[in-house]
Amino acid sequence: MSRRPLRTAAWAILTALLLAVWVVPVAWGLLTSLKTERDVLAYPPRVIFEPTLANYRDVLFGSASILPNLASSLIVTIAATAATMLFAIPAAYALARLDLPGKRSSGFYVLATQMLPPVGLIIPYYLILQKLGGLDTYAGLSTIYLTFSLPFAIWLMVSYFEDIPREMEEAALLDRAGRLRALWHVILPQARGGIAVTTIFVFLNAWNEFLFAVVLGGNRVRPVTVAMYNFISVEQTLWAKLAAGAMVAMAPVILLGLLAQRHIVKGLTVGAVKGGGRT
Amino acid sequence: MTVAVTASHERRFALALFLPALVVLVLTTTAPLVYLAWTSLMRIDLSMPFLSGFAGVANYVKMGSDPRFWNSLVLTVIYTASTVVLQVVIGVSLALLVLRIPKGQGVARVAAILPIVLAPVVVGLFWRTLVLAPDVGLVDVGLRALGLDSRNWLGDPQLALVSVIAIHTWQWTPFAFLVILASLSSLPPDVFEAARIDRANAWQRFVHITLPLIRPAVIVVIIMRMMVALSAFAAIFAATGGGPGTATEILNLYAYRTSFSELNLGYGASLAMVLLAITVAVSFLLFRLRRAR
Repeated sequence: MSRRPLRTAAWAILTALLLAVWVVPVAWGLLTSLKTERDVLAYPPRVIFEPTLANYRDVLFGSASILPNLASSLIVTIAATAATMLFAIPAAYALARLDLPGKRSSGFYVLATQMLPPVGLIIPYYLILQKLGGLDTYAGLSTIYLTFSLPFAIWLMVSYFEDIPREMEEAALLDRAGRLRALWHVILPQARGGIAVTTIFVFLNAWNEFLFAVVLGGNRVRPVTVAMYNFISVEQTLWAKLAAGAMVAMAPVILLGLLAQRHIVKGLTVGAVKGGGRT
Repeated sequence: MTVAVTASHERRFALALFLPALVVLVLTTTAPLVYLAWTSLMRIDLSMPFLSGFAGVANYVKMGSDPRFWNSLVLTVIYTASTVVLQVVIGVSLALLVLRIPKGQGVARVAAILPIVLAPVVVGLFWRTLVLAPDVGLVDVGLRALGLDSRNWLGDPQLALVSVIAIHTWQWTPFAFLVILASLSSLPPDVFEAARIDRANAWQRFVHITLPLIRPAVIVVIIMRMMVALSAFAAIFAATGGGPGTATEILNLYAYRTSFSELNLGYGASLAMVLLAITVAVSFLLFRLRRAR
Protein backbone atom coordinates (compact mmCIF):
# COMPACT_ATOMS: atom_id res chain seq x y z
CA MET A 1 0.00 0.00 0.00
CA SER A 2 2.83 2.35 0.77
CA ARG A 3 3.84 2.07 -2.87
CA ARG A 4 0.97 4.36 -3.78
CA PRO A 5 0.94 7.16 -1.25
CA LEU A 6 -1.58 9.24 -3.22
CA ARG A 7 -4.17 6.50 -3.22
CA THR A 8 -3.61 5.81 0.45
CA ALA A 9 -4.15 9.49 1.19
CA ALA A 10 -7.39 9.42 -0.80
CA TRP A 11 -8.63 6.43 1.19
CA ALA A 12 -7.66 8.13 4.43
CA ILE A 13 -9.61 11.26 3.52
CA LEU A 14 -12.67 9.23 2.54
CA THR A 15 -12.49 7.30 5.81
CA ALA A 16 -12.13 10.50 7.80
CA LEU A 17 -15.21 11.96 6.10
CA LEU A 18 -17.26 8.89 6.96
CA LEU A 19 -16.07 8.89 10.56
CA ALA A 20 -16.91 12.57 10.80
CA VAL A 21 -20.56 11.64 10.35
CA TRP A 22 -20.38 10.11 13.83
CA VAL A 23 -18.30 12.74 15.51
CA VAL A 24 -19.82 15.92 14.07
CA PRO A 25 -23.32 15.70 15.63
CA VAL A 26 -21.80 15.13 19.06
CA ALA A 27 -19.23 17.89 18.57
CA TRP A 28 -22.05 20.13 17.34
CA GLY A 29 -23.95 19.37 20.54
CA LEU A 30 -20.92 20.39 22.57
CA LEU A 31 -20.63 23.67 20.64
CA THR A 32 -24.36 24.33 21.02
CA SER A 33 -24.16 23.83 24.76
CA LEU A 34 -21.72 26.74 24.93
CA LYS A 35 -23.91 29.14 22.93
CA THR A 36 -26.63 31.55 23.93
CA GLU A 37 -30.09 30.50 22.74
CA ARG A 38 -30.00 33.40 20.26
CA ASP A 39 -26.77 32.14 18.69
CA VAL A 40 -28.23 28.65 18.40
CA LEU A 41 -30.96 29.74 16.00
CA ALA A 42 -28.72 32.03 13.93
CA TYR A 43 -28.37 31.34 10.22
CA PRO A 44 -25.79 30.76 8.90
CA PRO A 45 -24.80 28.91 12.07
CA ARG A 46 -22.04 30.52 14.08
CA VAL A 47 -18.95 28.44 14.51
CA ILE A 48 -17.14 31.36 16.07
CA PHE A 49 -19.03 32.88 18.96
CA GLU A 50 -18.51 33.99 22.50
CA PRO A 51 -18.75 30.80 24.56
CA THR A 52 -20.80 30.88 27.73
CA LEU A 53 -21.16 28.46 30.60
CA ALA A 54 -24.58 29.89 31.47
CA ASN A 55 -26.39 26.82 30.13
CA TYR A 56 -24.41 24.50 32.34
CA ARG A 57 -25.01 26.76 35.33
CA ASP A 58 -28.72 26.70 34.54
CA VAL A 59 -29.16 22.96 34.08
CA LEU A 60 -27.10 22.22 37.17
CA PHE A 61 -28.15 24.93 39.61
CA GLY A 62 -31.14 26.68 38.02
CA SER A 63 -34.80 26.22 38.88
CA ALA A 64 -35.10 23.10 36.70
CA SER A 65 -31.82 21.60 37.91
CA ILE A 66 -31.04 18.06 36.72
CA LEU A 67 -28.96 17.32 39.82
CA PRO A 68 -31.82 15.41 41.50
CA ASN A 69 -32.20 13.38 38.29
CA LEU A 70 -28.50 12.60 38.19
CA ALA A 71 -28.79 11.43 41.80
CA SER A 72 -31.80 9.34 40.84
CA SER A 73 -29.89 7.74 37.95
CA LEU A 74 -26.94 7.09 40.21
CA ILE A 75 -29.03 5.35 42.89
CA VAL A 76 -30.95 3.13 40.46
CA THR A 77 -27.86 2.32 38.42
CA ILE A 78 -25.60 1.49 41.36
CA ALA A 79 -28.27 -0.62 43.07
CA ALA A 80 -29.04 -2.51 39.86
CA THR A 81 -25.36 -2.99 39.01
CA ALA A 82 -24.45 -4.27 42.47
CA ALA A 83 -27.37 -6.72 42.54
CA THR A 84 -26.60 -7.87 39.00
CA MET A 85 -22.97 -8.67 39.75
CA LEU A 86 -23.90 -10.39 43.02
CA PHE A 87 -26.16 -12.85 41.18
CA ALA A 88 -24.23 -13.03 37.91
CA ILE A 89 -20.74 -13.93 39.15
CA PRO A 90 -21.62 -17.20 40.96
CA ALA A 91 -24.10 -18.21 38.25
CA ALA A 92 -21.58 -17.58 35.49
CA TYR A 93 -18.92 -19.57 37.31
CA ALA A 94 -21.29 -22.51 37.66
CA LEU A 95 -22.14 -22.32 33.95
CA ALA A 96 -18.54 -21.95 32.84
CA ARG A 97 -16.71 -24.37 35.07
CA LEU A 98 -18.83 -26.66 37.20
CA ASP A 99 -20.86 -29.79 36.60
CA LEU A 100 -24.17 -27.96 36.70
CA PRO A 101 -27.17 -30.24 36.12
CA GLY A 102 -29.04 -29.18 32.97
CA LYS A 103 -26.24 -26.89 31.94
CA ARG A 104 -27.17 -26.67 28.29
CA SER A 105 -30.79 -25.73 28.84
CA SER A 106 -29.87 -23.39 31.69
CA GLY A 107 -27.47 -21.53 29.44
CA PHE A 108 -30.06 -21.35 26.71
CA TYR A 109 -32.70 -20.10 29.14
CA VAL A 110 -30.43 -17.26 30.24
CA LEU A 111 -29.76 -16.35 26.62
CA ALA A 112 -33.46 -16.45 25.73
CA THR A 113 -34.36 -14.08 28.54
CA GLN A 114 -31.87 -11.61 27.13
CA MET A 115 -33.76 -11.48 23.84
CA LEU A 116 -37.12 -10.44 25.26
CA PRO A 117 -38.18 -7.06 23.89
CA PRO A 118 -38.66 -4.60 26.78
CA VAL A 119 -41.95 -3.31 25.37
CA GLY A 120 -43.29 -6.86 25.76
CA LEU A 121 -42.53 -6.82 29.47
CA ILE A 122 -43.42 -3.29 30.46
CA ILE A 123 -47.17 -3.93 30.72
CA PRO A 124 -46.93 -6.77 33.29
CA TYR A 125 -44.24 -4.87 35.19
CA TYR A 126 -46.53 -1.88 35.43
CA LEU A 127 -49.51 -3.92 36.61
CA ILE A 128 -47.48 -6.00 39.07
CA LEU A 129 -45.61 -3.06 40.58
CA GLN A 130 -48.86 -1.15 40.86
CA LYS A 131 -50.32 -4.00 42.92
CA LEU A 132 -47.20 -4.28 45.09
CA GLY A 133 -46.93 -0.52 45.57
CA GLY A 134 -43.59 -0.57 43.75
CA LEU A 135 -44.22 2.17 41.19
CA ASP A 136 -41.96 5.19 41.57
CA THR A 137 -39.68 3.39 44.05
CA TYR A 138 -35.96 2.76 43.77
CA ALA A 139 -36.39 -0.87 44.80
CA GLY A 140 -38.98 -1.46 42.08
CA LEU A 141 -37.07 0.13 39.22
CA SER A 142 -33.68 -1.37 40.13
CA THR A 143 -35.21 -4.84 40.40
CA ILE A 144 -36.73 -4.49 36.93
CA TYR A 145 -33.32 -3.45 35.58
CA LEU A 146 -32.07 -6.92 36.52
CA THR A 147 -34.20 -8.34 33.70
CA PHE A 148 -31.89 -7.02 31.03
CA SER A 149 -28.62 -6.69 32.94
CA LEU A 150 -28.50 -10.11 34.59
CA PRO A 151 -28.59 -12.31 31.44
CA PHE A 152 -26.06 -10.03 29.78
CA ALA A 153 -23.73 -10.05 32.80
CA ILE A 154 -23.95 -13.83 33.19
CA TRP A 155 -22.94 -14.44 29.58
CA LEU A 156 -20.13 -11.93 29.63
CA MET A 157 -18.75 -13.35 32.87
CA VAL A 158 -18.98 -16.91 31.48
CA SER A 159 -16.65 -15.88 28.66
CA TYR A 160 -14.16 -14.42 31.14
CA PHE A 161 -14.26 -17.42 33.47
CA GLU A 162 -13.56 -19.69 30.52
CA ASP A 163 -10.35 -17.78 29.84
CA ILE A 164 -8.88 -18.70 33.21
CA PRO A 165 -6.59 -21.73 32.98
CA ARG A 166 -8.10 -24.79 34.66
CA GLU A 167 -4.83 -25.66 36.35
CA MET A 168 -5.24 -22.68 38.62
CA GLU A 169 -8.37 -23.97 40.30
CA GLU A 170 -7.23 -27.59 40.23
CA ALA A 171 -4.16 -26.61 42.19
CA ALA A 172 -6.31 -24.74 44.67
CA LEU A 173 -8.64 -27.72 45.06
CA LEU A 174 -5.76 -30.17 45.64
CA ASP A 175 -4.74 -27.82 48.38
CA ARG A 176 -7.99 -28.85 50.07
CA ALA A 177 -8.98 -25.24 50.01
CA GLY A 178 -12.64 -26.09 49.49
CA ARG A 179 -14.60 -24.95 46.48
CA LEU A 180 -15.91 -21.71 47.89
CA ARG A 181 -12.47 -20.68 49.09
CA ALA A 182 -10.97 -21.64 45.74
CA LEU A 183 -13.56 -19.44 44.02
CA TRP A 184 -12.94 -16.56 46.37
CA HIS A 185 -9.15 -16.67 46.67
CA VAL A 186 -8.08 -18.05 43.30
CA ILE A 187 -10.74 -17.61 40.64
CA LEU A 188 -12.15 -14.18 41.49
CA PRO A 189 -8.76 -12.45 41.65
CA GLN A 190 -8.00 -13.98 38.24
CA ALA A 191 -11.29 -12.71 36.85
CA ARG A 192 -10.82 -9.17 38.20
CA GLY A 193 -10.44 -7.62 34.77
CA GLY A 194 -13.53 -9.37 33.45
CA ILE A 195 -15.53 -8.33 36.50
CA ALA A 196 -14.48 -4.71 36.00
CA VAL A 197 -15.43 -4.70 32.31
CA THR A 198 -18.77 -6.41 33.00
CA THR A 199 -19.55 -3.93 35.76
CA ILE A 200 -18.85 -1.03 33.39
CA PHE A 201 -21.19 -2.39 30.70
CA VAL A 202 -23.97 -3.17 33.17
CA PHE A 203 -23.64 0.33 34.59
CA LEU A 204 -23.68 1.86 31.11
CA ASN A 205 -26.83 0.00 30.02
CA ALA A 206 -28.67 0.80 33.23
CA TRP A 207 -27.70 4.47 33.05
CA ASN A 208 -29.01 4.76 29.48
CA GLU A 209 -32.29 2.94 30.09
CA PHE A 210 -35.40 4.95 29.24
CA LEU A 211 -38.57 2.89 28.67
CA PHE A 212 -38.76 1.26 32.12
CA ALA A 213 -37.78 4.51 33.79
CA VAL A 214 -40.44 6.60 32.07
CA VAL A 215 -43.25 4.11 32.79
CA LEU A 216 -42.26 2.77 36.21
CA GLY A 217 -40.68 5.94 37.63
CA GLY A 218 -42.47 9.09 38.67
CA ASN A 219 -41.92 12.27 40.64
CA ARG A 220 -39.59 10.65 43.13
CA VAL A 221 -37.65 8.28 40.89
CA ARG A 222 -36.86 10.19 37.72
CA PRO A 223 -33.55 9.22 36.09
CA VAL A 224 -31.77 11.73 33.92
CA THR A 225 -32.85 10.09 30.63
CA VAL A 226 -36.48 10.79 31.54
CA ALA A 227 -35.59 14.31 32.65
CA MET A 228 -34.01 15.02 29.24
CA TYR A 229 -37.13 13.80 27.48
CA ASN A 230 -39.43 15.88 29.70
CA PHE A 231 -37.23 18.91 29.15
CA ILE A 232 -37.81 18.94 25.40
CA SER A 233 -41.56 18.42 25.82
CA VAL A 234 -41.80 21.48 28.06
CA GLU A 235 -39.09 23.73 26.64
CA GLN A 236 -39.41 23.09 22.92
CA THR A 237 -36.89 25.69 21.85
CA LEU A 238 -34.25 25.86 24.57
CA TRP A 239 -31.75 23.77 22.64
CA ALA A 240 -28.61 25.15 24.21
CA LYS A 241 -29.84 24.07 27.63
CA LEU A 242 -30.91 20.70 26.23
CA ALA A 243 -27.44 20.24 24.77
CA ALA A 244 -25.78 21.23 28.05
CA GLY A 245 -28.00 18.81 29.96
CA ALA A 246 -27.27 16.04 27.47
CA MET A 247 -23.52 16.65 27.77
CA VAL A 248 -23.70 16.39 31.55
CA ALA A 249 -25.98 13.34 31.43
CA MET A 250 -23.83 11.52 28.90
CA ALA A 251 -20.41 12.44 30.33
CA PRO A 252 -20.29 9.37 32.62
CA VAL A 253 -21.10 6.87 29.87
CA ILE A 254 -18.74 8.48 27.37
CA LEU A 255 -15.93 8.27 29.93
CA LEU A 256 -16.75 4.66 30.81
CA GLY A 257 -17.01 3.75 27.12
CA LEU A 258 -13.57 5.16 26.42
CA LEU A 259 -12.21 3.42 29.50
CA ALA A 260 -13.51 0.04 28.31
CA GLN A 261 -12.95 0.64 24.60
CA ARG A 262 -10.63 -2.32 24.07
CA HIS A 263 -13.31 -4.65 25.43
CA ILE A 264 -16.28 -3.16 23.68
CA VAL A 265 -16.47 -5.67 20.82
CA LYS A 266 -16.55 -8.56 23.27
CA GLY A 267 -19.13 -6.79 25.40
CA LEU A 268 -21.36 -6.11 22.42
CA THR A 269 -21.34 -9.57 20.91
CA VAL A 270 -21.58 -11.66 24.05
CA GLY A 271 -24.12 -14.46 23.77
CA ALA A 272 -24.48 -14.40 20.02
CA VAL A 273 -20.90 -15.51 19.52
CA LYS A 274 -21.54 -18.71 21.38
CA GLY A 275 -25.06 -19.00 20.07
CA GLY A 276 -26.77 -20.49 23.07
CA GLY A 277 -26.45 -23.82 24.81
CA ARG A 278 -23.02 -25.08 25.63
CA THR A 279 -21.95 -28.57 26.48
CA MET B 1 -16.23 -43.90 45.71
CA THR B 2 -14.48 -40.67 46.52
CA VAL B 3 -14.86 -39.60 42.90
CA ALA B 4 -18.63 -40.10 43.04
CA VAL B 5 -18.87 -38.20 46.28
CA THR B 6 -16.93 -35.24 44.94
CA ALA B 7 -18.97 -35.29 41.74
CA SER B 8 -22.29 -35.03 43.53
CA HIS B 9 -20.77 -32.51 45.88
CA GLU B 10 -19.75 -30.43 42.89
CA ARG B 11 -23.25 -30.60 41.44
CA ARG B 12 -24.75 -29.36 44.66
CA PHE B 13 -22.22 -26.56 44.85
CA ALA B 14 -22.94 -25.62 41.23
CA LEU B 15 -26.67 -25.53 41.89
CA ALA B 16 -26.20 -23.39 44.96
CA LEU B 17 -24.30 -20.87 42.86
CA PHE B 18 -26.69 -20.89 39.92
CA LEU B 19 -30.10 -21.09 41.62
CA PRO B 20 -30.28 -17.54 43.02
CA ALA B 21 -29.81 -16.06 39.53
CA LEU B 22 -32.28 -18.56 38.07
CA VAL B 23 -34.91 -17.64 40.64
CA VAL B 24 -34.42 -13.94 39.88
CA LEU B 25 -34.73 -14.54 36.14
CA VAL B 26 -37.84 -16.68 36.49
CA LEU B 27 -39.48 -14.09 38.72
CA THR B 28 -38.53 -11.08 36.62
CA THR B 29 -38.91 -12.48 33.10
CA THR B 30 -40.87 -15.71 32.88
CA ALA B 31 -43.54 -14.92 35.47
CA PRO B 32 -44.28 -11.48 33.91
CA LEU B 33 -44.54 -13.18 30.50
CA VAL B 34 -47.20 -15.53 31.78
CA TYR B 35 -48.97 -12.54 33.28
CA LEU B 36 -48.69 -10.72 29.93
CA ALA B 37 -50.30 -13.65 28.14
CA TRP B 38 -53.12 -13.60 30.69
CA THR B 39 -53.50 -9.82 30.39
CA SER B 40 -53.80 -10.13 26.61
CA LEU B 41 -57.00 -12.12 27.20
CA MET B 42 -58.47 -9.39 29.37
CA ARG B 43 -60.16 -6.13 28.73
CA ILE B 44 -58.27 -3.65 30.91
CA ASP B 45 -59.18 -0.09 30.06
CA LEU B 46 -57.85 2.30 32.68
CA SER B 47 -59.98 5.11 31.33
CA MET B 48 -63.12 2.97 31.70
CA PRO B 49 -62.28 0.57 34.56
CA PHE B 50 -65.90 -0.58 34.97
CA LEU B 51 -65.65 -2.34 31.61
CA SER B 52 -62.67 -4.47 32.64
CA GLY B 53 -63.02 -8.22 32.64
CA PHE B 54 -62.18 -11.42 30.82
CA ALA B 55 -62.40 -10.98 27.06
CA GLY B 56 -61.11 -14.27 25.65
CA VAL B 57 -59.45 -13.85 22.28
CA ALA B 58 -61.38 -10.63 21.53
CA ASN B 59 -58.18 -8.57 21.53
CA TYR B 60 -56.60 -10.85 18.94
CA VAL B 61 -59.71 -10.82 16.78
CA LYS B 62 -59.76 -7.04 16.94
CA MET B 63 -56.21 -6.91 15.55
CA GLY B 64 -57.30 -8.52 12.29
CA SER B 65 -59.45 -5.54 11.37
CA ASP B 66 -57.24 -2.87 12.93
CA PRO B 67 -55.51 -0.92 10.14
CA ARG B 68 -53.22 0.73 12.66
CA PHE B 69 -51.92 -2.71 13.69
CA TRP B 70 -51.18 -3.74 10.10
CA ASN B 71 -49.54 -0.38 9.48
CA SER B 72 -47.29 -0.90 12.51
CA LEU B 73 -46.42 -4.40 11.32
CA VAL B 74 -45.38 -3.16 7.87
CA LEU B 75 -43.36 -0.35 9.44
CA THR B 76 -41.64 -2.84 11.75
CA VAL B 77 -40.57 -4.95 8.78
CA ILE B 78 -39.35 -1.91 6.81
CA TYR B 79 -37.56 -0.46 9.82
CA THR B 80 -35.88 -3.71 10.86
CA ALA B 81 -34.86 -4.82 7.37
CA SER B 82 -33.55 -1.45 6.21
CA THR B 83 -31.61 -0.62 9.37
CA VAL B 84 -29.97 -4.06 9.48
CA VAL B 85 -29.01 -4.03 5.78
CA LEU B 86 -27.67 -0.47 6.02
CA GLN B 87 -25.65 -1.25 9.14
CA VAL B 88 -24.08 -4.35 7.62
CA VAL B 89 -23.28 -2.78 4.24
CA ILE B 90 -21.88 0.45 5.68
CA GLY B 91 -20.16 -1.37 8.52
CA VAL B 92 -18.37 -3.83 6.22
CA SER B 93 -17.39 -1.12 3.72
CA LEU B 94 -16.05 1.15 6.39
CA ALA B 95 -14.09 -1.65 8.04
CA LEU B 96 -12.47 -2.50 4.69
CA LEU B 97 -11.68 1.17 4.17
CA VAL B 98 -10.14 1.62 7.60
CA LEU B 99 -7.96 -1.45 7.10
CA ARG B 100 -6.44 0.23 4.06
CA ILE B 101 -5.18 3.23 5.96
CA PRO B 102 -1.85 2.57 7.63
CA LYS B 103 -2.40 4.91 10.58
CA GLY B 104 -5.34 6.21 12.55
CA GLN B 105 -7.20 2.96 13.13
CA GLY B 106 -7.19 3.76 16.83
CA VAL B 107 -8.86 7.11 16.15
CA ALA B 108 -11.48 5.34 14.05
CA ARG B 109 -12.26 2.97 16.89
CA VAL B 110 -12.69 5.79 19.38
CA ALA B 111 -14.94 7.72 16.98
CA ALA B 112 -17.06 4.60 16.54
CA ILE B 113 -17.54 4.13 20.26
CA LEU B 114 -19.10 7.57 20.70
CA PRO B 115 -22.60 6.87 19.26
CA ILE B 116 -22.79 3.40 20.81
CA VAL B 117 -22.44 4.57 24.40
CA LEU B 118 -25.01 7.37 24.13
CA ALA B 119 -28.50 6.77 25.48
CA PRO B 120 -30.88 6.21 22.53
CA VAL B 121 -33.33 8.71 24.01
CA VAL B 122 -30.64 11.39 24.00
CA VAL B 123 -29.70 10.48 20.42
CA GLY B 124 -33.36 10.86 19.41
CA LEU B 125 -33.58 14.27 21.09
CA PHE B 126 -30.32 15.42 19.54
CA TRP B 127 -31.45 14.50 16.05
CA ARG B 128 -34.88 16.02 16.55
CA THR B 129 -33.37 19.37 17.46
CA LEU B 130 -29.79 19.96 16.38
CA VAL B 131 -29.53 17.65 13.38
CA LEU B 132 -32.93 17.50 11.68
CA ALA B 133 -34.64 20.73 12.70
CA PRO B 134 -35.88 22.68 9.65
CA ASP B 135 -33.49 25.42 8.46
CA VAL B 136 -31.06 25.48 11.39
CA GLY B 137 -30.44 21.74 11.87
CA LEU B 138 -27.10 20.34 10.67
CA VAL B 139 -28.66 18.50 7.71
CA ASP B 140 -30.55 21.51 6.44
CA VAL B 141 -27.56 23.76 6.92
CA GLY B 142 -25.64 21.36 4.70
CA LEU B 143 -28.43 21.25 2.11
CA ARG B 144 -28.76 25.02 2.04
CA ALA B 145 -25.03 25.43 1.68
CA LEU B 146 -25.29 23.23 -1.42
CA GLY B 147 -28.10 25.42 -2.70
CA LEU B 148 -30.84 22.87 -2.01
CA ASP B 149 -34.12 23.42 -0.23
CA SER B 150 -34.54 22.69 3.42
CA ARG B 151 -37.06 20.03 4.32
CA ASN B 152 -39.32 19.15 7.18
CA TRP B 153 -37.51 15.92 8.06
CA LEU B 154 -39.66 14.86 10.97
CA GLY B 155 -42.91 16.56 9.96
CA ASP B 156 -43.41 14.89 6.59
CA PRO B 157 -44.67 11.29 6.98
CA GLN B 158 -42.34 9.67 4.43
CA LEU B 159 -39.30 11.71 5.39
CA ALA B 160 -39.99 10.96 9.05
CA LEU B 161 -39.69 7.23 8.40
CA VAL B 162 -36.45 7.80 6.49
CA SER B 163 -35.25 9.97 9.37
CA VAL B 164 -35.85 7.44 12.14
CA ILE B 165 -34.14 4.77 10.01
CA ALA B 166 -31.20 7.14 9.57
CA ILE B 167 -31.04 7.82 13.30
CA HIS B 168 -30.92 4.11 14.16
CA THR B 169 -28.35 3.47 11.43
CA TRP B 170 -26.23 6.37 12.68
CA GLN B 171 -26.18 5.10 16.23
CA TRP B 172 -25.60 1.41 15.59
CA THR B 173 -23.48 1.09 12.41
CA PRO B 174 -20.37 1.54 14.60
CA PHE B 175 -21.30 -1.77 16.24
CA ALA B 176 -21.19 -3.58 12.90
CA PHE B 177 -18.04 -1.69 11.96
CA LEU B 178 -16.19 -2.60 15.16
CA VAL B 179 -17.15 -6.28 15.07
CA ILE B 180 -16.26 -6.67 11.38
CA LEU B 181 -13.03 -4.73 11.83
CA ALA B 182 -12.02 -7.03 14.69
CA SER B 183 -12.80 -10.03 12.51
CA LEU B 184 -10.87 -8.65 9.52
CA SER B 185 -7.87 -7.73 11.65
CA SER B 186 -7.57 -11.30 12.86
CA LEU B 187 -7.27 -12.73 9.33
CA PRO B 188 -3.83 -13.79 8.13
CA PRO B 189 -2.55 -11.28 5.51
CA ASP B 190 -1.02 -13.96 3.27
CA VAL B 191 -4.50 -15.04 2.14
CA PHE B 192 -4.91 -11.71 0.40
CA GLU B 193 -1.38 -11.76 -0.98
CA ALA B 194 -2.01 -15.11 -2.65
CA ALA B 195 -5.17 -13.80 -4.27
CA ARG B 196 -3.40 -10.69 -5.46
CA ILE B 197 -0.76 -12.81 -7.16
CA ASP B 198 -3.58 -14.75 -8.78
CA ARG B 199 -4.64 -11.45 -10.32
CA ALA B 200 -8.05 -11.53 -8.79
CA ASN B 201 -9.57 -8.06 -8.87
CA ALA B 202 -10.74 -6.27 -5.74
CA TRP B 203 -14.38 -7.34 -6.06
CA GLN B 204 -13.46 -11.00 -6.73
CA ARG B 205 -11.12 -10.98 -3.76
CA PHE B 206 -13.90 -9.59 -1.58
CA VAL B 207 -16.58 -12.05 -2.69
CA HIS B 208 -14.46 -15.20 -2.83
CA ILE B 209 -12.01 -14.69 -0.01
CA THR B 210 -12.86 -11.93 2.43
CA LEU B 211 -16.60 -12.47 2.67
CA PRO B 212 -16.47 -16.22 3.43
CA LEU B 213 -13.82 -15.56 6.06
CA ILE B 214 -15.77 -12.85 7.87
CA ARG B 215 -19.11 -14.60 7.40
CA PRO B 216 -19.40 -15.74 11.04
CA ALA B 217 -18.88 -12.16 12.22
CA VAL B 218 -21.42 -10.85 9.69
CA ILE B 219 -24.00 -13.36 10.88
CA VAL B 220 -23.40 -12.40 14.51
CA VAL B 221 -23.93 -8.77 13.52
CA ILE B 222 -27.15 -9.58 11.66
CA ILE B 223 -28.57 -11.57 14.57
CA MET B 224 -27.78 -8.98 17.19
CA ARG B 225 -28.86 -6.02 15.09
CA MET B 226 -32.21 -7.65 14.24
CA MET B 227 -32.90 -8.24 17.90
CA VAL B 228 -32.06 -4.65 18.79
CA ALA B 229 -34.03 -3.23 15.84
CA LEU B 230 -37.05 -5.28 16.89
CA SER B 231 -36.93 -3.81 20.37
CA ALA B 232 -36.10 -0.24 19.26
CA PHE B 233 -38.09 2.31 21.15
CA ALA B 234 -36.45 5.26 22.87
CA ALA B 235 -34.85 7.01 19.88
CA ILE B 236 -38.05 6.97 17.82
CA PHE B 237 -40.11 7.90 20.85
CA ALA B 238 -37.90 10.93 21.44
CA ALA B 239 -37.58 11.97 17.79
CA THR B 240 -41.14 11.57 16.52
CA GLY B 241 -43.17 9.81 19.21
CA GLY B 242 -44.42 7.52 16.43
CA GLY B 243 -45.71 10.40 14.35
CA PRO B 244 -46.56 12.41 12.43
CA GLY B 245 -49.83 10.53 12.82
CA THR B 246 -48.73 6.92 12.70
CA ALA B 247 -45.96 7.40 10.11
CA THR B 248 -43.18 6.02 12.34
CA GLU B 249 -45.33 3.94 14.66
CA ILE B 250 -43.58 0.57 14.62
CA LEU B 251 -45.19 -2.23 16.64
CA ASN B 252 -43.24 -1.24 19.79
CA LEU B 253 -44.54 2.30 19.63
CA TYR B 254 -48.09 1.16 18.91
CA ALA B 255 -48.11 -1.25 21.86
CA TYR B 256 -46.73 1.48 24.10
CA ARG B 257 -49.15 4.16 22.93
CA THR B 258 -52.12 1.80 23.24
CA SER B 259 -51.12 0.85 26.76
CA PHE B 260 -49.85 4.06 28.28
CA SER B 261 -51.38 6.90 26.24
CA GLU B 262 -54.75 5.38 25.45
CA LEU B 263 -54.61 3.32 28.68
CA ASN B 264 -55.95 0.22 26.97
CA LEU B 265 -53.65 -2.28 28.64
CA GLY B 266 -55.49 -5.41 27.52
CA TYR B 267 -55.17 -4.62 23.83
CA GLY B 268 -51.65 -3.33 24.39
CA ALA B 269 -50.75 -6.68 25.94
CA SER B 270 -52.02 -8.59 22.92
CA LEU B 271 -49.93 -6.34 20.65
CA ALA B 272 -46.93 -7.04 22.87
CA MET B 273 -47.64 -10.78 22.50
CA VAL B 274 -47.42 -10.43 18.71
CA LEU B 275 -44.13 -8.58 19.08
CA LEU B 276 -42.88 -11.35 21.31
CA ALA B 277 -43.95 -14.03 18.84
CA ILE B 278 -42.10 -12.21 16.04
CA THR B 279 -38.95 -11.93 18.14
CA VAL B 280 -39.02 -15.60 19.08
CA ALA B 281 -39.66 -16.67 15.46
CA VAL B 282 -36.88 -14.46 14.10
CA SER B 283 -34.32 -15.58 16.68
CA PHE B 284 -35.25 -19.21 16.11
CA LEU B 285 -34.78 -18.82 12.35
CA LEU B 286 -31.51 -16.98 12.72
CA PHE B 287 -30.03 -19.54 15.06
CA ARG B 288 -31.13 -22.33 12.73
CA LEU B 289 -29.41 -20.47 9.92
CA ARG B 290 -26.19 -20.39 11.93
CA ARG B 291 -26.31 -24.04 12.83
CA ALA B 292 -27.09 -25.11 9.28
CA ARG B 293 -23.86 -23.63 8.06
